[in-house]
Amino acid sequence: MPVKRLLILACLASAPLADLRAQGSAVLYGSVHDTLGQPLRAYVRLLEGGRAALADGRGRYRLAVPAGTVVVRIALIGFEAVTDTLTLAPGDSLQRDYRLHPAVLQLPPTIVTAAKRSQFLDQAVTSVAIVSDTDVARHAVTTIDEAVNKAPGVQFLNGQVNIRGSSGYVQGLGSRVLLLVDGVPANQGDRGGINWDVIPLEQVERAEVVKGAGSALYGSAALGGVVNVITRDIQPGFHARVRALGGAYANPPAEIWSFRDYTGAQEGLDVTGSYGTDRARGTFTGGGWHSDGYREQDRRNHWQTAGKAQWLATPDTRVTASGSWVSDQYETPLVWCTRGTCDDRGQAFQPFMIDASGRGSLTRSDKGYVAGTVEHHASEGLGWHARASWGRTHFTDFQPGRDDWGVANRFGAELRGELHPTGNRVATVGTEASFSDVRTNIFTGDTNLTSNAIGTHDQREFAAYAEGEQRLGRARLTAGVRTDLIVVDGGGLSTVVSPRIGAVLTTARTGVWRASVGRGFRAPSLAERFVSTTVQAFRVVPNPDLHSETAWSVELGNATTISPAVRSDAALFWTEAYDLIEPTVDTSGARIQFRNVARARLAGLDLALTTMPFTRGLTATLSYTLLYARELAHDGIPERPLAFRPRHLVTLGADYQRGAVSVGGDFRYTSRFERVELYETDPRVAEKVLNLRASAAWGPWTLRAQVANALNYIYNLVPRTLEPVRTGSLVLTWTY
Amino acid sequence: MAGCTLFPAQTGVKLTLQRGAAMIAAMRSRVARAAPVAAALAGFLAMAACNEGLQPTAAPTSCPRGFVGICGTATFRGALPDSTQGVFIVAYATFPESLRALLTFRPLPPPAAPQPPPGDSTVFYTVPLPNGRYEWVLAVWQKQGTLKPDFSNADSLFREAGFYKDAGDTTSHGSGIVVVNGTGTDSIDLVIDFGNMHRICSYFPPCP
Repeated sequence: MPVKRLLILACLASAPLADLRAQGSAVLYGSVHDTLGQPLRAYVRLLEGGRAALADGRGRYRLAVPAGTVVVRIALIGFEAVTDTLTLAPGDSLQRDYRLHPAVLQLPPTIVTAAKRSQFLDQAVTSVAIVSDTDVARHAVTTIDEAVNKAPGVQFLNGQVNIRGSSGYVQGLGSRVLLLVDGVPANQGDRGGINWDVIPLEQVERAEVVKGAGSALYGSAALGGVVNVITRDIQPGFHARVRALGGAYANPPAEIWSFRDYTGAQEGLDVTGSYGTDRARGTFTGGGWHSDGYREQDRRNHWQTAGKAQWLATPDTRVTASGSWVSDQYETPLVWCTRGTCDDRGQAFQPFMIDASGRGSLTRSDKGYVAGTVEHHASEGLGWHARASWGRTHFTDFQPGRDDWGVANRFGAELRGELHPTGNRVATVGTEASFSDVRTNIFTGDTNLTSNAIGTHDQREFAAYAEGEQRLGRARLTAGVRTDLIVVDGGGLSTVVSPRIGAVLTTARTGVWRASVGRGFRAPSLAERFVSTTVQAFRVVPNPDLHSETAWSVELGNATTISPAVRSDAALFWTEAYDLIEPTVDTSGARIQFRNVARARLAGLDLALTTMPFTRGLTATLSYTLLYARELAHDGIPERPLAFRPRHLVTLGADYQRGAVSVGGDFRYTSRFERVELYETDPRVAEKVLNLRASAAWGPWTLRAQVANALNYIYNLVPRTLEPVRTGSLVLTWTY
Repeated sequence: MAGCTLFPAQTGVKLTLQRGAAMIAAMRSRVARAAPVAAALAGFLAMAACNEGLQPTAAPTSCPRGFVGICGTATFRGALPDSTQGVFIVAYATFPESLRALLTFRPLPPPAAPQPPPGDSTVFYTVPLPNGRYEWVLAVWQKQGTLKPDFSNADSLFREAGFYKDAGDTTSHGSGIVVVNGTGTDSIDLVIDFGNMHRICSYFPPCP
């Protein structure tokens, strides 16, 4: 019986070939990958006859072609198309594997953040930078913020993101940038800051960085911009990926700075598995990493799980559920040691050691989110999108004298419609609601010094928005407005209206021009309103009367192709900010309080150049941001530079790919801050960081190596907080 | 000008290159492509060559160059109390006339003074201060605890632990006037005696 079955199977298997032979056709099959070995869902198409096949998630394709000489074209947006001439006999089965090179001159990528709908990048009225999964992979990072930090005009200060100098540094409280994960707001419910490590790195497809005020669509926190992290679509079939990370930190470059007798290391492992059919798909990631840190009291453990499931209910309806949960336990280095605050060895400061008063500080932070979305295309002219989400953070700061803790939730829901009444007109309308609460012993609002109160506060936000785009010839005109109502602890209703207008003009000779004017705002976080703690001898007292800070942003930009190998994107921007919330020392009452005090102006130039010079496979990038950031005169304080903003921010990058091997590097220069808050007389220097990287792929294996801060340049951006030293890391990935 | 043959026509294919305008055009294109990279590379090399990050710096023994504020020696005597939260050196433009005026000191927030080594010792200190005239420069010892908004517990939390005074001065709080004028004012020497600290109420009597 087995023999008979084999014969039957052999006959069945040979039948297609027999058919092909009879029909005078053949089969072309194989795979399509990029130069890093990543599979590509490229189109493989016959130039004559129009037959085409789409490669699957593993890059595999199969195409029936007529016998004889045929020309096939393999193409994918963002890559140089390949044309191949083949000769096949009737019944032949020929394997051809293709490797596509990234292209500078490409169709503009599709983005989803700038207008809260899908559009081409060059149709956006504001500047958008894209951090692709290739960028993430190249940098061998452990959290997504390390990759976003390389985007033009973006700078991180101790985990706090600045887009064109938006946030400065305020100890992680009240980010002026909104983080979205697949469009779902993910800023903390209590502090308003961002937990970048909650995003599962393995699932990141790209990050879109929208610059300038985005409150006309996104409301609070989008004062300086929006970062939307898009996770990958789940491919049909079974796929798996194992990623192992190992690395080491350089020891201090000077013996007198040494602080331990071993070399610090980091190591991690994560595993991702996914399975999909035409109707249902799911993926799950789990893993963790440990780091010894590069300075004293800097060890960290990180554990993470994340999952995503999709149900393609109908061809026009998609239901997605996703979530992530992260647990971090990390020592808190606080500030470095200065003369007399540790065993200073006669030094004015010891950047690798900590001030002994902070010894023993550590934090446990658990956080996560779950989100569900439903997308439905009702017709050619109407689509709608609904989402619900829940984010939760739970932190405990263990520190000498007093432990601080807080448990916060943020529930959100949104219903959005996209209408195409005519081919030249698009409208996006929606409504959004959120509820944040916190139970804590530090953001209590308590003014009684002697009590050890535990407080609960909440904030509700309701919003409605609409934005329309009208196409007039080669111009696209956009206008929109959003109204937010904010209710704190059941009272204190406040309303903020955020309009935006913009235009995009496509020209034949000077590229694409864009212009926009928009208003942004940020509602004070519950932490800023109700913080109640002590700093040195000072009581930090709550200020329930805080109101939103606002800003008007103006931008004029141009994206053009200078030559076949050079593409540029430049923008002039101007932001006027009002009522910025800042901690203010009240000398008459021995207290510190957050108040709406500062007026600021941020203006400058944002420039990005991409070029493929000299030789195929070499890509070079240059981004430069010139920033004029001033704190305008207020409350008796004369005009002065805005703290923690660099005048110049330069990133140079180059990558060369040959086959499955690539090498590259980037260099970041940040000019010395003109002004910082606290410890203004401490020495401070410009940032000059060189990162080198290399990768190789063979079969299912990819090895990436990076030396971050290769020059072991010792510097700080935030006062008395050492930035990472030279760190070598290897990432080995196996993909099935 | 006629074109030149690059390769002999051995296979029936002859490759020729046009000289003249086409050649110049090609060069322009190549230069245009190379220029941004060359500029970027030059910039990178210039910046990378100047690796001037933070360097080990010996604790100063005189006012550092470019520093604005006061410097001097702090001579510690006595044992540091176990309940110490911190020791600070601060300056007042005018001697505070009331309890509330105690918080008009500079700099704000005050940097911690050097931690005294065990036993009597002398260490150099620097305190950044804005330009101005200061009538009272003193060391403040702070006990562990939190100041109440109404200052009612200030007397139990803070002690005057020493102050700067002119030689021979015998007044209760010293008459050492310090002027900061765009540089570091040196030799503002203090004796911080943990065995002879004074309560705030001794300046604002009566003491409870």
